Amino acid sequence: MRIIIAEDDAISRTLLEGTLQRAGYEVIAVENGAKAFAELVKHDAPRLALLDWIMPEMDGVEVCREIRRRKEQAYTYLILLSSRESKEDIVAGLESGADDYLTKPFDVDELKARLRTGHRILELEDHLVEARESMRFHATHDLLTSLWNRGVILELMAHEITRSRRERNCTALMMCDIDHFKSVNDQYGHAIGDEVLREVARRLHNSVRSYDMVGRYGGEEFLVALNKCNPESAVSRAENLRTKVAGRPIQTADKPLTVTISIGLALSSEFTQCTVEELMHQADMALYAAKAAGRNCVRVAQPSSIGKPADEQIKEAQVLTP
Amino acid sequence: MPKQKREAALEHPRQNDWDLQELMERLGGDQEFLRELLVMFREDVRMNLQKSRKAMAESDYELLTRTAHTMKGMLRNLSMGVAAETAAALEQVSRENLQGESQELLERLTKELDGILPEVEAQLAEAKP
Repeated sequence: MRIIIAEDDAISRTLLEGTLQRAGYEVIAVENGAKAFAELVKHDAPRLALLDWIMPEMDGVEVCREIRRRKEQAYTYLILLSSRESKEDIVAGLESGADDYLTKPFDVDELKARLRTGHRILELEDHLVEARESMRFHATHDLLTSLWNRGVILELMAHEITRSRRERNCTALMMCDIDHFKSVNDQYGHAIGDEVLREVARRLHNSVRSYDMVGRYGGEEFLVALNKCNPESAVSRAENLRTKVAGRPIQTADKPLTVTISIGLALSSEFTQCTVEELMHQADMALYAAKAAGRNCVRVAQPSSIGKPADEQIKEAQVLTP
Repeated sequence: MPKQKREAALEHPRQNDWDLQELMERLGGDQEFLRELLVMFREDVRMNLQKSRKAMAESDYELLTRTAHTMKGMLRNLSMGVAAETAAALEQVSRENLQGESQELLERLTKELDGILPEVEAQLAEAKP
């Protein structure tokens, strides 16, 4: 465990440093509060600090106050070192954000015991942060595939399309659906079906750039949004996704299965007047067209079909692959 | 400072000049560490006394208070109880700009430290690696 000590008197500092090193701490020793503060706000700073009350530059109480003002950081356990005359200041010290105080000259066993209390508090905080992060992940990701869940991918996509319109570039929206997925479940059972979903999700996720978005839209449907996409390369990128899935069999616990997907593609730059929902609808119609054309292909939504009945929109979606 | 308190500060009860046993406990029995600290002490004490005398001469009570505070911490950490309490009293009286008392306590502190330094030297000679 790493710890910072700030103490202006060299002898007291050396004594503390030696004591803590013997107790197994990795010690950073500085001679004033300003240096301690600079160390404590660094990335990956120690989370335990022993601060002398009275120091030049910045005293221990000021360091506590400044550290507590920074709410975004992981918790730092702060102990003030006071001389026994200044006991009346202890309330002020604790109110500045210190967790504890020690009277100088310190007793080694007491020092160690109080630091152990600090460890307990920090461990407790780590568990809470971990739990919060895990809850945040579960609230935004699909449990089976770890992709964005439906609510989040729709929200992210809407945000991205609005942005791309403002910046006059294009977001390519792809509705991807696993072909004949029901028969995989029927023939091999749901566990194998889940393996297929996970592997398709993984392949889609690994085939896009880090700033593109992939989410699980429904049962076997995935939504992919390619940000700042060149409209001319959108089709080849959709093709790339399709072949990444169909190109080699998925190794399941039962046997290798060849799985294909159909993709409906809609470009935000082609439908500048459409709402996000309408654009989604266009991608959906293109997906139906891909299914109708025999599956395992990409179809592109055409702006000319806006307002026409669904069956005509499906007919008009451009065939791109057999 | 009330008169009573001032007198108490000036006439603190006599303690051990230097409780080496307590210090060794604090150092976990580490002779080399003791040596390191005592070498530092020899230097720091000289420097701080010099600084205090200069502050006294210039009636810089703020500096005198700060220096006395530093010496107090240092002396307590080294279990030099008597001198530490004199430094504490000096910190108190200089904080209140009490010239006569400050002068008196600084002299007393100097004398006490003069008494300890030979002990420190003896210890250093004994603990020579």
